[in-house]
Amino acid sequence: MNSTRAKGMNMDLFFLSLVLILLGGTLAPIFNRRFTLMKLIAVITLCAGCLLGLVDAGSKLIHGGSYRYAFAYLNALSLEFQIDALSAFFLTTIFFICFCSLIYSFHYLNNAEKAFRISVNYMLFSLLMISMALVVAAGNIIAFLVSWEIMSLSSFFLVIYNYASSENRQAGRLYFIFSHVGAMFILSAFAIIYQHTGKFGFIDAASLSHGAKLLVFIFSFIGFGSKAGVFPLHIWLPHAHPAAPSHISAVMSGVMIKTGIYGIFRMYAILELHTPVFGSIVLSAGIVSGILGVVYALGQHDLKRLLAYHSVENIGIILMGMGIGMLGVSSGKPVMAVLGFAGSLLHVLNHSIFKSLLFMGAGMVLQKTGTSSIDVLGGLLKKMRITGTTFLIGSLAIAGLPPFNGFISEFIIYLGAFKGVVLTGMTFVLSLLGIVGLAVIGGLALACFTKVTGVVFQGEPRSRAAENADEKGVAMLVPMVILAGACVMIGVYPEPFILMAIRGIDSLNLGYAVIPLEGFVAITGSLTRAVTAFFAVVLGIFALRVFLYRDKITTRSSTWGCGFTRPTAKMQYTGSSYAASILSFFKPVAPLSEHHPRIKGIFPEETHYFSHVHDIAERYMKNLTVIPVMALFDKLRWIQYGDIHLYIGYILLAIIVLLFFI
Amino acid sequence: MTPIIIFIPAILSAPFFPAIILKVKAFFGGKKGPPLLIQYYTLAKLFKKGSVYSTSTTYIFKLGPMVSLSAALTALMFLPISGAAPLFSFKGDVLFVLYLLGLGRFFTIAAALDTASPFEGMGAAREAYFPIICEATTFMIFILFYRLTGELTLASFFYGNHPLELWRVAGAPLAFVVTAFFIVLLTENARVPVDDPATHLELTMIHEVMVLDHSGPDFGFIEMGSFCKLFFYAAIVSRLVFPFDLGHPAMNLAAFSLIMLLIYAAVGVIESVMARYRMDRVPKFVLTSFALAFVATIITLEFVK
Repeated sequence: MNSTRAKGMNMDLFFLSLVLILLGGTLAPIFNRRFTLMKLIAVITLCAGCLLGLVDAGSKLIHGGSYRYAFAYLNALSLEFQIDALSAFFLTTIFFICFCSLIYSFHYLNNAEKAFRISVNYMLFSLLMISMALVVAAGNIIAFLVSWEIMSLSSFFLVIYNYASSENRQAGRLYFIFSHVGAMFILSAFAIIYQHTGKFGFIDAASLSHGAKLLVFIFSFIGFGSKAGVFPLHIWLPHAHPAAPSHISAVMSGVMIKTGIYGIFRMYAILELHTPVFGSIVLSAGIVSGILGVVYALGQHDLKRLLAYHSVENIGIILMGMGIGMLGVSSGKPVMAVLGFAGSLLHVLNHSIFKSLLFMGAGMVLQKTGTSSIDVLGGLLKKMRITGTTFLIGSLAIAGLPPFNGFISEFIIYLGAFKGVVLTGMTFVLSLLGIVGLAVIGGLALACFTKVTGVVFQGEPRSRAAENADEKGVAMLVPMVILAGACVMIGVYPEPFILMAIRGIDSLNLGYAVIPLEGFVAITGSLTRAVTAFFAVVLGIFALRVFLYRDKITTRSSTWGCGFTRPTAKMQYTGSSYAASILSFFKPVAPLSEHHPRIKGIFPEETHYFSHVHDIAERYMKNLTVIPVMALFDKLRWIQYGDIHLYIGYILLAIIVLLFFI
Repeated sequence: MTPIIIFIPAILSAPFFPAIILKVKAFFGGKKGPPLLIQYYTLAKLFKKGSVYSTSTTYIFKLGPMVSLSAALTALMFLPISGAAPLFSFKGDVLFVLYLLGLGRFFTIAAALDTASPFEGMGAAREAYFPIICEATTFMIFILFYRLTGELTLASFFYGNHPLELWRVAGAPLAFVVTAFFIVLLTENARVPVDDPATHLELTMIHEVMVLDHSGPDFGFIEMGSFCKLFFYAAIVSRLVFPFDLGHPAMNLAAFSLIMLLIYAAVGVIESVMARYRMDRVPKFVLTSFALAFVATIITLEFVK
């Protein structure tokens, strides 16, 4: 292997961090007999690698420019890597979230009996980190596809960590199929590029013809969309996330699906085609994913499944920002373009922060209570103060409320979309739908996360498991506090982060000269001032409250039961009933099936109630693709029924047929 | 200095106006009604009392009233009350204000769910549901305003004679917007026909049932918060129905107070002459507001090119 160095020491630091991560991953299985030592070595080495990568990516983002690196593998395939601002932005996110997740895993993976499996988990985790970093650093088709495949496979094995359960195996299979069908679409998109240019480089793609570019974009959007979880290609997500261990769910939902977003960004950048068609596709897909994702999330009974659907929603928001950016470019509005793209990128970072925080909280709940079923939990905030509080912060952030980070990115996307409503035609219609869609998503997310915090962390425990929960494990609490702190920090002081996102879109080749940044800095400054004003008011009210309660008698008593004196925890409003009325509004897209025997007679028998919200994508995909394909293959079964002679005949036949072509 | 001079009395007068609603309702019922300063007496009484906290509750229960009041107060800082310049204003403050009110709602709901009471859960579910449609309406209205003015601040819509400009450009369709916003006002502030603040059955309430367990100064904060929120929406409606700038702040203030009295009286009249809708009918009523705002936007598309 020979390598050529293009620029400075920095690139080496990037590869050094990857080597360190690989080392950590390899050491883990070697030490698997000493459980705690193994975890310690793995976590420390991997964290060191992540920190190094974080520092490197951060400095590249600040200094700008693009760093190239090339290997010639076996002297035949050239692997090129290139880190520009966009890659550096994603790298920062990847290394930061992986770092937090690694610390978390130290106490989360605490079953010493499964020491070997856990050590393998660390190894695969290290592969996932490396491959994600390489995907966003890839500079040509080969490097990209190889890294992409390693990423898909390592995450597949991480999903089936608990392979003993058939449900998890099924989730893994679904994920495997989706990631590979997606990869095939990406491959076909790249094949079109290769066919036209005859080169593996990304840079050459700009010379494609108009029609070919359209086809490439649509294929790659389907491929990357299935990784990102765009409706209707999201159906693997709500199965795979609950199956994976929570620290892996945090990484998968927080950063891995964002590589799909990165792919769409990158394709848009290299194609350099500023047609409104791209923007319209992306924005429409974003609106649909955003609204349906949160509607399905509302209907979920499992905490991790619910969070998985929220990833679909947030990918929708990210795509909305991206679509608005693209429409801004195509209609010649640089400010709208920058607002849309920057909002989208910032939401990538924000979502990775609060979503991994929420998955870590869910993991804590799962570990301490043994269940992630929302309706049997309750009252956890009293026993798990840090988990509960950080989860609350995460909930506020994901609902897009100020003064937390989710608001900042949504705010910028809104500003971009408002720039679009003064235009005409399709851009106007889609921007309008985008704004109303974002407003509805915000309201639904608020409903959904009041449901989660209200039913899981507040009220009275609904089961023995919830009653006896505690929160032991410093290593699990620390990352949650860090992430919650990041949510508040970006929410209160967004300036450096918005500038970071704006720097990230430098590499999109928008064809503009430098865009004046003063306007954006002014926005962040006024947001900080507004939030400060709000905090001042809260402090004032707090002072007033302290004053009003000085030497007052406050007593504790039971909740007012409206005259009923013997309430039980079971009488509390459940998550299902909380969401029922909103879901009935969305009945056409979220059909609900209910199962409960009728109550008969004066002394009715014990009854039960079960409801399930159907995902129409799952339903139709099953009816329209799976069943016909199965039927077709059923008809073709005679081709392969186990006779070895026949198979040899096939081989001969194939060779003879091929002879005609040589 | 003027913004502060307007802001403080505005907040102090917020508890006065709801008494108008009570007076109007009493008039329709052939009764004398409570004194006009009733809400001040109520607040004073609440602030003097201690509190009883449910054993089910956590710190969120105490945080809820503070956050919802602070959110409403901060929102008012961005509003040009009586057309005078607001305390703060920045590009996009409309979004900030709406989401801040959302934060207040989040904490009101969270405080309600903290009590483990099924009734409060019921109210919370409704409080989470209806405002979603309201938000869509409000954003629709702001899309229209943005198309008319090219700005995204409350000040640019409602300061001085800016609303007059809105009327001049948009014309009659703005009447749809006023109606739509009035529906939003009724919904967001738990008034008839969406919610009946005077009903006696917990099952049928929205806002009142959510605050059942609050008492003393905490409950006072909640009351004050809802007065401020109603004041916020009513002040916007008042700017839309009386878009003039009379030239002198004092005259503006006088005219503003008069219009506010009329708006609160209108709320009182509606509460007197109609009943609350059945819960499953409410979304249709609120959706009407969205339809109105949408139609207004579509119509003005032709005017504003």
